Amino acid sequence: MDIGLLGQYLVNGIMLGTMYALVAVGFTLFFGVLDIIKFSHGDVLMLGAFIGFSAYLGLSALGVSNPWVLVVCLTVIAVAATAALGALIARTLILKLKSAPPLNTLLITLMLGIAIRESVRLFFPDGSNPKMFPPLLPSSAMEIGHFTLRADSVILVAVGLILIIGLNLVVNRTRLGLAIRAVAQDAETARLMGINYTMIVLVTFAIGSGTAAIAGIMNGLYYNEINFGMGLLLGLIGFSAAIIGGLGSLYGAILGGFLFAALQTIGAVALPFASAYKDVFAFAVVIALMAWKPTGLIAERSSDRV
Amino acid sequence: MTMKQSTSAAPLAVGLTAVAAVAAYFWAFLSVESNVAVLGLLALAALAAIFSRKIAPSLDRAMDEHDCVMHGAILAALLVLIALFAEDHFPLLMFSTTLLYMTAALGLNIQFGYAGIVNFAGAAFFGIGSYTSAVLTAQGLVPPILILVLGGIIAAAIGFVLILPVLRTRGHYSAVVTIAFSVLFVSFLQVNDVLGGPQGLSVGAMSLLGWDFGTGPTLFGVETSFYVNYALASVALAALAFTFTRRLERSWLGLSLDAVRLDETASACCGIGIRRAKVLAFGFGNLLIGLAGALFGMMIGYIAPTSFTFSDSLLMVAIVLLGGMGSLWGTALAAAIVVLLPEKLQVLQEYRFLLFSVMVIAMLLFRPQGLLPRGVRRFVPGWRPAE
Amino acid sequence: MNTISRRCLGVFAAAAFAVTAVTPVLAKDTVKIAFVGPLTGGTSSLGLGGRNSAELAVKLRNADGKSKYQYELVAQDDECKPNVGVQVVTKIAADRGVVGSVSHYCSAVAMGTLDIYHKFGLPMIVWGAVLPDITYSKDYPEIHRVNGTMINQNEVAAKAMTAMGYKTWAILHDTTDYGKGHNLYITKYLTENGARVLGTFGVTADQQDFTAELTKVKELNPEVVYFGGLTPIGVRIRQQMDKLGINAQYQGASGIVSEAYPNGTGALAEGTIAFLEGGPIEKLPGGQYFAAEYAKANYAQPADAYGPFAYAAAMLLIDAVEEVGPNRKKVTEYLAKIKDHDSIIGPITFDDHGQNSAPMITTYVVQDGKWTVWEDSEYASGKRHLVKK
Repeated sequence: MDIGLLGQYLVNGIMLGTMYALVAVGFTLFFGVLDIIKFSHGDVLMLGAFIGFSAYLGLSALGVSNPWVLVVCLTVIAVAATAALGALIARTLILKLKSAPPLNTLLITLMLGIAIRESVRLFFPDGSNPKMFPPLLPSSAMEIGHFTLRADSVILVAVGLILIIGLNLVVNRTRLGLAIRAVAQDAETARLMGINYTMIVLVTFAIGSGTAAIAGIMNGLYYNEINFGMGLLLGLIGFSAAIIGGLGSLYGAILGGFLFAALQTIGAVALPFASAYKDVFAFAVVIALMAWKPTGLIAERSSDRV
Repeated sequence: MTMKQSTSAAPLAVGLTAVAAVAAYFWAFLSVESNVAVLGLLALAALAAIFSRKIAPSLDRAMDEHDCVMHGAILAALLVLIALFAEDHFPLLMFSTTLLYMTAALGLNIQFGYAGIVNFAGAAFFGIGSYTSAVLTAQGLVPPILILVLGGIIAAAIGFVLILPVLRTRGHYSAVVTIAFSVLFVSFLQVNDVLGGPQGLSVGAMSLLGWDFGTGPTLFGVETSFYVNYALASVALAALAFTFTRRLERSWLGLSLDAVRLDETASACCGIGIRRAKVLAFGFGNLLIGLAGALFGMMIGYIAPTSFTFSDSLLMVAIVLLGGMGSLWGTALAAAIVVLLPEKLQVLQEYRFLLFSVMVIAMLLFRPQGLLPRGVRRFVPGWRPAE
Repeated sequence: MNTISRRCLGVFAAAAFAVTAVTPVLAKDTVKIAFVGPLTGGTSSLGLGGRNSAELAVKLRNADGKSKYQYELVAQDDECKPNVGVQVVTKIAADRGVVGSVSHYCSAVAMGTLDIYHKFGLPMIVWGAVLPDITYSKDYPEIHRVNGTMINQNEVAAKAMTAMGYKTWAILHDTTDYGKGHNLYITKYLTENGARVLGTFGVTADQQDFTAELTKVKELNPEVVYFGGLTPIGVRIRQQMDKLGINAQYQGASGIVSEAYPNGTGALAEGTIAFLEGGPIEKLPGGQYFAAEYAKANYAQPADAYGPFAYAAAMLLIDAVEEVGPNRKKVTEYLAKIKDHDSIIGPITFDDHGQNSAPMITTYVVQDGKWTVWEDSEYASGKRHLVKK
């Protein structure tokens, strides 16, 4: 195969992997702290993208036209709004169901996801159709043969990776991170140590949801298109990526995200019979991986208390 | 002796009245069409839910002490409902669909209500059952009653492909195995044309010893709907599944399943074969789901991959969780809600799923443990914790 | 029980008498017409457009004083799933007040419900599903279709494109029945017309990222990229073609002829070509009337590509009821004889299978952010050019 094409596949895969990893990081955070699956994560991501899009429309109407100012502003607005929403979800739904079986939290977030998705579809003007997300990043491209590298892709990958590394530092190096990890390990003991449990849960949800909004906006900026159903598959893949990577560390999310992206790319390109089987291939490998490494590639360090 | 009789007669009366009331309610709910009437009935249900707390203890005692009478009464109520709807196709279709979803949800209940194996591929196994009946009725070599059984067996057999990862993983990690299978299943059916591809397949009708389910039986000079056949078959299947699950729950096997769910390490220490318990639960569960799917396929008459997607699996999981994990009556109630409510909300057209999801969220906030949470295991029939 | 019901009856009779005494004697009987389509989920934009259009037809006829009956539209959501379709169709078919149905956008759902229409003798007219089997696989007199099948569409498309001098294609299609069918027929007719298909790629209906497939397409370097599928993916593929610097003509199936495509794609939509069954709505007198009335009714969603078909189907059903009365059997008989029936999508003629045998195929091209009939565009006049190698 042409070396330029190979490079192109690599770049595509890295872009896709960054996106998946960002979603997976959110899942890892929620698991870590409250040991729950938050199935509405993908839909919160979608909502973040739509809030960003609305902010863009509003700012353009006000006469702001500098793309950099626009990108920063709409990201800040979307992150703030979804972070607040995340905290609200934690406050009104998640903490209320703390005493119920963890799977019931799954059901309630699942229904919440449907509610968010349906609301956007019904109440956003013409929400059932895809919307064009403005290309705000510089689109200058470098072309060598079959290989095209665009500036916006490079910026997005860089921002995504910096964000994940930054989150990892927050969790592992700050007092807030210490508190989050303490709650994750043992909520009861953490409380006894004077950690404000409710506060930590709310903050974690705000951070996770804010990350989702960034992932949503990145998605919009990269594909230049957003739609009400975009969170569905992304959420599913992000969840799978978080699990294959292992819930123990945020690096697991990165590993899982890139692995999944690689599987899909390989499935589409290298399967000689038909590219349509690529999802079958990717998910079959996921099942096989789980049989081989039942607690993910980066295993959780934990022991059973007997 | 006489004392006991006098105290227990009252619960029985309460129990029978409750059965009659619930049956009447379902009759009304299935028959009404207008928006106002549907809303009225929903309000009534909310009131009944509050009132039910008062009669709950008597109801529990009735179920305990008059096991046979109560179950007989419920079965009779179901048959009366079928008789009342004998000529109405649509209510019978919804009635049978509810019972078949309940049967499938009972299968899921064995898996995660008892053994703690999370299964997010319920619709996929349901689909395997349906596809089995589609392929086999098309060939016409196997008698349909056997096809039903085969639908269950093949679902269980394909389920065993997943058994290694399911056994090795726990909790959220095992969730991903079944999620992956669920996506893979639909994707495969759509891409591969052998089983009809995205267009789907038509399924032949059920028949039993020359009794063709495709035409309505004429009883007492009244030509009934052909769905009467399927409604009767669904009642039979659901009753069978219910009895089976109940027996399983009360058996030693059920006890070890509970132990495995609650603490694997401890139960291994007590000499319970964890692998064996999990394999059995996963297999039995898929068998029930496949059986229900096979009959569902025959009743609907046409199946396509879009009916068995991950979202449909989630709906099945929702039935179990909404009812309360491990609670059989809860499963029955939740199946009715999850199947009938969106249908009755058709008048809202595009807004119906939004309202449905909001209603489920409200129900869960109101009863975080599920609608009818499973009680404490009773080792002696009739035993209850001191009041 | 008996006395109670008799007493109730008495009350009702009195009430009914009171009502009739107040209302004018001319009160018309109400006739119900059903609409079935996807109102929730991924294809809901088309379903809602169809629903609105059918509703508009009913509204306009009711407002028109000349009609003999008062019409009521019963809209049902089939979610694009056969099992739900079977449910709702059983419901409307069992309701004897419903005389006919404007049904189905999704082919798999239509295939699943054929037997029910036949069993209950309910006449139906398909407004959007394009699978040929729906009308041709079974000999049911109740089944009709106003839109063309994907066979007609792709035959014309392949001829027109090869006539313009294009020789090599890459085909992407979604793996639903819609996309797979389009792939089958476009490949067939392209090969018959001497063109070459360099590669075929199936994509799933909820896929977001197509860079892997498109990179492969880039390597194959075709003159035309054909997409068989609906607007959301059509938009994504066009956007990502640009990301990867693929320089080829983009051709779509009828599924992307919607306002949402140019709206979602922006400047990149320019020059995209697609083929749609039906006459050029904008140019037919009835079509302009439809567009004006639809705009006036102020619906939240656009009518989309298949809205006019739903409108035409509803109008046809109402015409039938006006002619022969609200009787399912008579309506079915009436529909069997439809020939050159005037409608906003051109004259309708049903063949022996109930298929509209005179469906016109119109070529559309995006010009300045709008789908424009080819003959009127600056591309046809030579002012602008499609992508050519």
